[in-house]
Amino acid sequence: MEKIKSPLGRILVHVALIFFAVYSFVPFLWTTLQSFKTLKDANSRTPKFIFTPTWENYQELWLRSVPDNGAIIAYFILLVLVLLICLLLFAEYIPVRNGVVYAFVALGFVALLWGIPRMVDTAKFYDYFINTIIVTVGTVVVSITIGSLAGYSLARYTGFAAVFVLIAALGFRALPRLAFILPYYWIGSATHLLDTHILVIITLVAVNQPFTIWMLRSFFMEIPKELEQAAMVDGCNRLTAFVKVIIPIMWPGIISTALFSLLLAYNEFLLVRLLTQTNWTLPVAISRFTGGEDPRHLTLAAAAAVSATIPIMLVILFFQKNLVKGLAAGAVKG
Amino acid sequence: MNRGTFFRFAAPSIVVMTLLMVVPLFMAIWLGMQFMTFNNITDPQFVGLRNYIDVLGDSRFWQAFRFTLMYMAIIVPAQLVIGFTVALLLDQVSGLARGIYLSIFLLPFIIVPIVGTLMFKQLFEPSGLLTWLYQTIFDTKFRYNEVSVKTLILFHGIWYTTPFALVTYFAGIQTLSQDLLEAASIDGANRWQKIRHIVIPHVRSLTILILLISIMDAYRVFDNVFVLSELNPIYKADTLMTYTFQTAITVQRLGKANAMAILTVVGIMIVLIPNLIQSYKQQIEER
Repeated sequence: MEKIKSPLGRILVHVALIFFAVYSFVPFLWTTLQSFKTLKDANSRTPKFIFTPTWENYQELWLRSVPDNGAIIAYFILLVLVLLICLLLFAEYIPVRNGVVYAFVALGFVALLWGIPRMVDTAKFYDYFINTIIVTVGTVVVSITIGSLAGYSLARYTGFAAVFVLIAALGFRALPRLAFILPYYWIGSATHLLDTHILVIITLVAVNQPFTIWMLRSFFMEIPKELEQAAMVDGCNRLTAFVKVIIPIMWPGIISTALFSLLLAYNEFLLVRLLTQTNWTLPVAISRFTGGEDPRHLTLAAAAAVSATIPIMLVILFFQKNLVKGLAAGAVKG
Repeated sequence: MNRGTFFRFAAPSIVVMTLLMVVPLFMAIWLGMQFMTFNNITDPQFVGLRNYIDVLGDSRFWQAFRFTLMYMAIIVPAQLVIGFTVALLLDQVSGLARGIYLSIFLLPFIIVPIVGTLMFKQLFEPSGLLTWLYQTIFDTKFRYNEVSVKTLILFHGIWYTTPFALVTYFAGIQTLSQDLLEAASIDGANRWQKIRHIVIPHVRSLTILILLISIMDAYRVFDNVFVLSELNPIYKADTLMTYTFQTAITVQRLGKANAMAILTVVGIMIVLIPNLIQSYKQQIEER
């Protein structure tokens, strides 16, 4: 549409947009402020915007005891993090194969996560954070692997069986989760798999699968058939043609889909809440702070909320284009 | 690709979906016919259709059903209207400002739903920013009661569902035909007429998509109601999902909860089946 030209009109447009931005942003802003307050400041009946910020809440959340040389360790961890992120950002300019750099960075993250509890005395919240990472990574890897095989074959095969699978998947995607989760609980207690990562991962893969195959299929449809046909003439079979020719050009689509799977697994509350008793992920751990009887929960809950949001914001920052692309593709959202 | 290759490629996915979606659904029907608590989970007692009849005669179930419908009736149109309006406004700005606005608008969509609800709730704690604002403006104390909790749930619902509609509409508006708009200008159409006769028809398919997704999401809303109502029956703010959860976990009637979940599934079929038939026809045509 053409732009409004009158200055008054333009001001009104911005006023409306700012109003909506405030609506979107204020809960996040307020919680962040609360998380840096002492309990006394946070409980003040008239909101305080000027206060001396404190790290206490974050310390209490993440650490069981505060080490003497805490500042040095904190700076060291931060330095390693920044280094790894820089490596990731500038991978293209490093004269080694990209895959090697990414593998190195992934290894670095694992080493860092493994090393932190050995340097400082971490609290339960850190374990929940690690659980979340294990469950999220496991879910994304499994669902993308089996999902891209299925998505590819659904894009290429036009028989009735493919249509049937697609429509059935669409139907199952729309159903309320509890209808599956209650039987999962029964399966879990019959097989003694309750409270294990493996049960959470396979059930999350299953509830994500319909959405994953639909989205991947729509990306595979954009790739011309001639590509893999040429590869098959050159002596590849279907599987090697798929792995060597199709997957390399599909990366943007796969990353978009992986991002949505990641959000779904990271966000899942109900399923994890029912299938675990101690091995919680962050959403379940955080829901424990909503009780409200203990006034200390106010600032701790705020710190927990901010802590759970920062990793996901970092991931989104890296892949913002893929997220918007996936949303714009339209066929999405679990 | 022939049929054999299709099945070999799709097999892992089909097996997972069959074992963990189709089978559990039938299992839930069967579990709904048992008397089962956490104590006799491996040794349930068969009671036939009693649980199903029990649920249909449960007044709190119908109360939850009514609140779910009310939630749907308010959230779905609100997110369509607000999302479309803000998308049009966002189309008016460009460059850096547009990017900044878009990132802020996406925030409620990115934040973990449970965490987003918790953040919303922080505003309404006794020491919260909006509690203070409310008390300053209306000069009465802000209390948690049936009306305020339900209003809070609705406000939060709009807060976190609108970004999806907004971004989808925004992407749709970007693909408008400039020629058509210019032709309309030459014919003397004003801004409102252009929106009414060009933009709205252009985004029609997106509207249907958002409508379907948001109806289904609103029907199975859980996370925000769970946090904001604290599962407290005095607020009468249960939805179908939270009441089923409560029956399973708090009251420990697992059989009845399964029956309830199955009846909930039957309820969504009214919207789902026409949609599935539509998609089926579309897929058959496209191949």
